[in-house]
Amino acid sequence: MLQFYCFVKNQNRIPQHIITYFQKQKYMRKKQYFIFIFFIFILQSIAAQQRFTLSGYIRDARNGEDLIGASITIQELPEKGSVTNAYGFYSITLPAGLYHISAQCLGYQAQVQEVNLKMSVKMDFNLPEKVNELNEVVVTGERKNENITKTQTGMQKLDIKEINSIPVLFGEKDVLKTIQLLPGIKSTGEGSSGFNVRGGAADQNLILLDEATVYNASHLMGFFSVFNSDAIKDVSVYKGNEPSEYGGRLASVLDIKMKDGNDKKFSVNGGIGLISSRLTLEGPLVKDKGSFVISARRTYADMFLKLSKDTNMNSTKLYFYDFNAKANYKINDKNRIFLSGYFGKDAIGISSFGINWGNATGTLRWNHLFSSRLFSNTSLIFSNYNYTINAKIGDEINIISRIQDYGIKQDFQLFSGKEFTLKFGFNSVYHKIIPGAITTKGDIDMKSLTNKHSWENAVYISHQYKFTNKFSMEYGFRVSAFSVIGPGNFYTYDNNGKTIDTSTYTSGQIAKTYIKLEPRATLNYIINQESSVKAAYARNVQNLHLLSNSTSGNPTDLWIPNSNNVKPEIADQVSLGYYRNFSDNLCEFSAEIYYKSMQNQIDYKNGAELNFNENVESQILFGKGRAYGLELFMKKNQGRLNGWISYTLSRTERKFDGINNGSYYPAKQDRTHDISIVGMYEINKKWTLSANWVYNTGNAVTYPSGKYQIDDKTMMLYTNRNANRMPAYHRLDVGATWMVKKTPRFESSWSFSIYNFYGRDNAYTITFRDKENDSTKTEAVLTSLFRFIPSFTYNFKF
Amino acid sequence: MLIFITAVTLSSCQKVINLQLNSTSPQIVIQGNIYNESGPYTVTISKTVDFDQSNAYPPVLGALVIISDDHGTSDTLIEKPKGTYVTSKLRGIAGYTYSLTVKTGNTSFSSSCTMPEAVDIDSLYTETSFMDNKQLSIVFMDRANVENYYRIIEFKNSKKIEGFNVASDDLYKGKKITYKLMSMGNGTDSKISTGDYIIIWLEALDKGAYEYFRTAEQDGSQSASPSNPTSNISNGALGYFNACSVTKKSIIVPK
Repeated sequence: MLQFYCFVKNQNRIPQHIITYFQKQKYMRKKQYFIFIFFIFILQSIAAQQRFTLSGYIRDARNGEDLIGASITIQELPEKGSVTNAYGFYSITLPAGLYHISAQCLGYQAQVQEVNLKMSVKMDFNLPEKVNELNEVVVTGERKNENITKTQTGMQKLDIKEINSIPVLFGEKDVLKTIQLLPGIKSTGEGSSGFNVRGGAADQNLILLDEATVYNASHLMGFFSVFNSDAIKDVSVYKGNEPSEYGGRLASVLDIKMKDGNDKKFSVNGGIGLISSRLTLEGPLVKDKGSFVISARRTYADMFLKLSKDTNMNSTKLYFYDFNAKANYKINDKNRIFLSGYFGKDAIGISSFGINWGNATGTLRWNHLFSSRLFSNTSLIFSNYNYTINAKIGDEINIISRIQDYGIKQDFQLFSGKEFTLKFGFNSVYHKIIPGAITTKGDIDMKSLTNKHSWENAVYISHQYKFTNKFSMEYGFRVSAFSVIGPGNFYTYDNNGKTIDTSTYTSGQIAKTYIKLEPRATLNYIINQESSVKAAYARNVQNLHLLSNSTSGNPTDLWIPNSNNVKPEIADQVSLGYYRNFSDNLCEFSAEIYYKSMQNQIDYKNGAELNFNENVESQILFGKGRAYGLELFMKKNQGRLNGWISYTLSRTERKFDGINNGSYYPAKQDRTHDISIVGMYEINKKWTLSANWVYNTGNAVTYPSGKYQIDDKTMMLYTNRNANRMPAYHRLDVGATWMVKKTPRFESSWSFSIYNFYGRDNAYTITFRDKENDSTKTEAVLTSLFRFIPSFTYNFKF
Repeated sequence: MLIFITAVTLSSCQKVINLQLNSTSPQIVIQGNIYNESGPYTVTISKTVDFDQSNAYPPVLGALVIISDDHGTSDTLIEKPKGTYVTSKLRGIAGYTYSLTVKTGNTSFSSSCTMPEAVDIDSLYTETSFMDNKQLSIVFMDRANVENYYRIIEFKNSKKIEGFNVASDDLYKGKKITYKLMSMGNGTDSKISTGDYIIIWLEALDKGAYEYFRTAEQDGSQSASPSNPTSNISNGALGYFNACSVTKKSIIVPK
């Protein structure tokens, strides 16, 4: 690794000793050969003529925000190009010459600068926002067909503006609700911010906020997500074929990046809604050098409860708040630091019972340019999720559970001369899980569950290479190592879940290490400027698992790491996609198919006791899964009417010894059909209308297939797991935005929406009971949650 | 709990629907109790029916039912109408282990259960909780140095309240336990009001019986994978065999 590092640093001078070092390797094993390929590509690129590097940042001209994924094209060399990274940095190496360099980004006006390249230069672009979408002038040379040309597949990027105009429950615009409208991504249930990607479970999504893992992305039973969209700049979802810098979950990565803050001027924006309000402040710390943003949000449903005369009612707690803050400072052209944090809390309290939970994350980052071609980012990452249950049952009892991460992440990005980028780095995280600790003021035992410690490490390398103008590839691998460490007891169980052996490890002692190789590759063949075909393979490994046996997901669901009993979950996914743009890139269409096979999946024994159980691992079954499907997506990006239609046809199945006689059965999240239609229509500059309609096959559920009586109570008889279906779900939401005032100095608007416009009784649960008026019969009862939920919000910005 | 809060917070809506449910061949349901009180004790045997049929469960007639203890008593139960079988000489004594055998047709089922020592109820009291509901608490002292499992049965104005309430001494070994009964929701049987006459049974259970009632309590539509309670009877029978010590106390719900 050290040699490799030196090599990268000195890549302009060809280090002959490294070449010979590799040539001397006579007996190369398979893995080494794989690594060798990388070097070949690097070497190829070095043997070239006089070439210089053009590098810099692309930013929003109005507020100085770095633009992620903005593209650079060279008018004289149309086949060349580069894309900005997560920090808005680009780098491109060209032969000496006179060029017109164009920078563009969706939603911004393109900008062209001329450069006479005689030496490596730095060139920044500040792009003004497109102000008038209605009378839009099509800027020639703009590269709108990025979906065709980029190598990445199975990836969706959300425009924050889209998130803001889609009508949602309670008018609270929401990232997680919006991604559920995309193909292959499904909501776990009514109003839920939990989601399933390509048949994965809700815990198989890696949710990152400025690189920190968010372990529970839900507020208020999932009706809100923890992401305040005012504080967010960029949202990308990778559906299982993510590049190798990401890892740790089977199904997807949701990478959310917070705003950096306006470094030009101080500004305020906010919204006042029915049940919550939010406020964001941002401004320069030092003009053009550093900025900050602070965003806060709180619900106030409980304020109304305070008005109640009932003492129990007015002491009821029911709220959440969250707080995002970020600051960045540019030390000089080569160094920049970022500090970002999130803190959120939910509280529910009814008479003698209370629960509160929340996430906290923190990221300290250092961007460093080793050269105009080698970009480095070092991050120190902290994440915490905890819940506290407070109960006064005679004595006051507090139960605390927590998962905490301390991590370091190092990423290098090498932009080389020819059309290639090399990314490599490592990631090391220490996880500490407190499954449940009890404290009490009274006279009861303070029994706590054994804390779980683990250390997760990974190294990765990824190479993006363009073979020809038509054929490109991104491939690489990730090696992850997960160590379960002491102190703690590790139990061995027999088939009946009885403890047959206990081994005790001391602090820092490694009980077990799992090392996994995760290869990833994506190929793109560009048929023409309007269509391409992409194929991908990825292996993903998951070392932390969420134990949840509720239909909706609870804040008290427990994360457990691998152990001697629990093995890493593994998924292998292959996908194939066809991409086609129409009408001068006005419409984009994609069709993707995927097949995913999963190992070491987790389910529970019948009657499992998951709550506060030291031997929770004895309650688990291990099996396998498979998921496959077709995803169709058609999107119109511009014009007065825009929006998309997405359709998913899919199947997700599980197979466990001990469930349904060991045969494949549908997973809970298995849904055959899933349709979303999203439309936004701008009537005039004042009014914009929006609507979305969703339809999906009901989840697989277990209904009783008979009944009997115990202690005079009617009991349901269950035979096969998930052999039944919930009724189909469909819903229309409508919304309107009224722009009251829009000047460069002040902007105000009202947004109105109605959730479930035609009042469909969608099943949240179906329960079975004795008939209310005739206890000799039984009946099925459907509970639905939301019908015609209106909301309005006043938004302002100055 | 969470679903309850959700229901309070948001205007949810319930309606009865027609569902086409699968049917399955009838299965045997066995329910037997032995108390630390004088007998006779009963075992009932019935069969399951399909969901859309009425709540009339076909009794199993002509079964051979034997309960024996580990002190030399074996009692062949006498068949009474409606699939009920009663003991004639067996006595329920704490510390004894009882074995049940049921033979019907060519199938036989068996179970065994040890009767724990009785635990007295120290006190019952009520307090006003959320939305003016009265909540009943049961206070008792856990027996030290042994694993204890409890079931609480509530009778309101002589009517048994449906449902299963269990507790273990996992966190309270040898300490005072206060068990709060849920009594929320208007119109439900569990809601208690001033003047109601409440009798509480505190059953001390063995682990197998506890597992049955615990999983019976847990099972519900909120589970993502509902399943039948874990029976302590062999060979796939539904139901339970429970030899328990019971103590009783009553209260008239005060204002």
